[in-house]
Amino acid sequence: MCAADSPLRLRVQFTKQGQARYLSHSEYARTLMISARRAGLPLEYAGTNMSRMKVSLSPPLPIGVTSDCELVDFNLTSYVPAAEACDLLGKATPDGIAPAKCRLMGPEAKPVGKVIDTAVFTAAFPETVGGGELEDAVERFSEMSTLPYQRVQPRRTRTVDIRAGVHGLEVVGETEGRISLKMTVDDGIAGTIKPWEVVEVISGMAGIGREVWQQAEVNRTGLFSRRGDRLISPMDTGAGRSGAGRGARGVRY
Amino acid sequence: MNSTHPGSLADRLQPLLLRVERPSRYLGGEWNSPDIPAESTSVVFAYPDVYEIGMSNLGLTILAEVVNDIEGASAERAYAPWLDMEAEMRREGIPLFSLETKRPVASADIFGISIPHELTFTNVLNLIDLAGLPLHASDRTSGPIVVGGGCGVTNPEPLAAFFDLFVLGEGEEVIGLLVEMVGRAKSQGWGRTRLLEEASRLRGVYRPDDYLPEYADDGTLKEMIPQSGAARKVTKNLVDLDDWLYPTHPLVPFCEAVHDRLNVELFRGCTRGCRFCQAGMTYRPVRERTAGEVVKLVDELAQSTGYDEVSLCSLSSTDYSRIVDVTSRVAQVCEHRRMIMSLPSLRMDAMSAELASRLDRGGRGGLTFAPEAGSQRLRLVINKPISEGDMVDAVMCAVRAGRRRIKLYFMIGLPTETDEDVAEISKLVFRLRDAVKAEKLTPPSFNVSVSTFVPKPHTPFQWCPQITGDEIRHRQDILKATLRARSMNLSWHDREMSTVEGLLARGDRRLGRMVENCWAAGGRFDSWSDHFDFERWMRAAADSGIDPGYYLYRQRRPDEVFPWDHLDFGVDKEFLQAELSRAMEATTTPDCRVAECSECGVCEGLSVQPVLKGSDS
Ligand code: SF4
Repeated sequence: MCAADSPLRLRVQFTKQGQARYLSHSEYARTLMISARRAGLPLEYAGTNMSRMKVSLSPPLPIGVTSDCELVDFNLTSYVPAAEACDLLGKATPDGIAPAKCRLMGPEAKPVGKVIDTAVFTAAFPETVGGGELEDAVERFSEMSTLPYQRVQPRRTRTVDIRAGVHGLEVVGETEGRISLKMTVDDGIAGTIKPWEVVEVISGMAGIGREVWQQAEVNRTGLFSRRGDRLISPMDTGAGRSGAGRGARGVRY
Repeated sequence: MNSTHPGSLADRLQPLLLRVERPSRYLGGEWNSPDIPAESTSVVFAYPDVYEIGMSNLGLTILAEVVNDIEGASAERAYAPWLDMEAEMRREGIPLFSLETKRPVASADIFGISIPHELTFTNVLNLIDLAGLPLHASDRTSGPIVVGGGCGVTNPEPLAAFFDLFVLGEGEEVIGLLVEMVGRAKSQGWGRTRLLEEASRLRGVYRPDDYLPEYADDGTLKEMIPQSGAARKVTKNLVDLDDWLYPTHPLVPFCEAVHDRLNVELFRGCTRGCRFCQAGMTYRPVRERTAGEVVKLVDELAQSTGYDEVSLCSLSSTDYSRIVDVTSRVAQVCEHRRMIMSLPSLRMDAMSAELASRLDRGGRGGLTFAPEAGSQRLRLVINKPISEGDMVDAVMCAVRAGRRRIKLYFMIGLPTETDEDVAEISKLVFRLRDAVKAEKLTPPSFNVSVSTFVPKPHTPFQWCPQITGDEIRHRQDILKATLRARSMNLSWHDREMSTVEGLLARGDRRLGRMVENCWAAGGRFDSWSDHFDFERWMRAAADSGIDPGYYLYRQRRPDEVFPWDHLDFGVDKEFLQAELSRAMEATTTPDCRVAECSECGVCEGLSVQPVLKGSDS
């Protein structure tokens, strides 16, 4: 490690699986911060204690949902090779949370929490759900231009246009006898459509009962910023001086 | 979720986790969680409150590590499930489980329940019931032995019917002996009765069955009659802190615990001699840990936990004989590891305030002091003779260090207290504020927290009546009327909770039925004001033929036999009686660390000596 002449940002893609899926967003954030301290990374703080650690996190994941892609930026006070950081974090995180990739970002890169607007989720339905009924519902959903949805929250209930926040929806093949719904939805700076909301709506249209769709296993597979019809991963952009990842690669959805 | 152990309930628990508040309370798998061998003498330590409170309990953390360090033994944990989880578990027929392996607690060999205070009694019963065990020890013929420990066993009599054993005092050594004995009992095929008989011979182990209360016609206790050769008294355990360098791998929870920091003990015991303070009497004598060991522990634990704060905890941390040295050395560790240090219980003088302010340079929050009483006379009565000059110095020092908030703890209802003494609390706070103003400094805000004094066993005030609910209200009203200023905030404890706490604190075995009735009527989480139901307690008392006034408001005779007299925490009853007389004369007794021995009886009775590490490194 050596002193940085300007701030560095370590961007990490974590997976959140197993029992870690039951952690709330604040518990998960705390877990990452403690892990980073245990890893001995040269972390930057705005004040004296952990709550003032300079970090930026990707949008919250609902409790119970697993993820292949949770992103976080740690501000560093000195240089650490990305591979070494990944290794140190791998030893410091608890079961269920693991770093998949790390990269260093230049000072001009926007914090990860300020660039993500889209997430891709899959929802694997129980074996009793057949593909035909879901496909029909997805087709009807895709043909709609708007679809009001009553979002019930602890303090208020409001109506959102769930159709406008869903940018891609498809039924994907069977894995271990289970049909999955793959959805590309608003998640982050431009608003959020929760995966369970889409599952509920599509299941309703397909005539699948609540007790069945509630058993679906939901997983976040990617986080992106949307440019037209392209999805750009924050792991591939904004590398700045540290070199890696210049020339954003995009995937179409 | 670990489901590899035979009998694990992990798969059945998964669906419940999505239906309850804060599922992380039931996960386990925190940093530093031990690997639990499938075949071992297994202990489950349970705490009768929610996870985030139980995880802050240093005692259980230490005991679990001690057991896990024993070859062939394992310790797991359980906490009181919150109401939503309890409802789900009962609906699904899922018993209380350990966080580590998710096995039913009933499959363990020892079920150790920490009893922190009286308002957890209904939760204690709930833990036993949720484990699927018969509530009454006499009805249990199989399953784990149920053992109680912690601060609440200074008088465990209201819970006597529900426990097989209690452990008095510090448990580090005796838990190892008990585990070893249970292992032997398993391998040699002892029956439950033999095991309990043998265990009751271990030092500090109290088997309630070995003592039979006999009551006089006036309802007072005549005698606790030892059965089948039991000793007249059971004497507490204590340990040398330098021999027990624990914890070494404290668990770090995923959620924020109430004390979300590393806790390292400087010393145990306190001989300041505050006459209301049970811990000050029952943890004697003072035993300090060597400064070098403290610094080493902080450094190692900082690395193994990742915490950003360390608390050097003790009953009165600034009384540590090398406090300046140890804090400056720990400060260097903190600097290196980007941590802050805190001293949780400060004496109210300039030195302590200055030290605390220097340590916590970020000035996180304010400083907290506990003058306890408003008038000098009453402070002499309780043997906490802080002068007003010292208080002013402490506040000035805190303000000069940039502190904007001062929290002050007081009590109402102390023996001999008058309305004037209560009003003195307000006057004192105003005088402290005016002293700051006189120096042309901006006064801090004063948060004044007032609790009701509850007379506790093994203290000089154990003979004294508690004030009635009406009297509590009257004295709170005096404060509400007099402590009015923009920069002063007054808060007080719920008077009905104090009443129930007082009833249970000096209760006898006859209260067991009342606790059971209250639990059966739905009593849970009584220390949470929104779940405490005074009417439920009073109905339970009436249904059990208990007159709360008898336990609460009666001045005890000097020669009265108390339900806890056969539990020897070291301090002689004669000393406590003499201290009560000195209190009535407003005469103080000095701290034996700085003055002569005041002959409390601990050192002679337990063959120990105060351990001060003033010259050690
Ligand atoms: S016996 Fe004397 S020296 Fe020992 S704790 Fe009591 S007062 Fe202190």
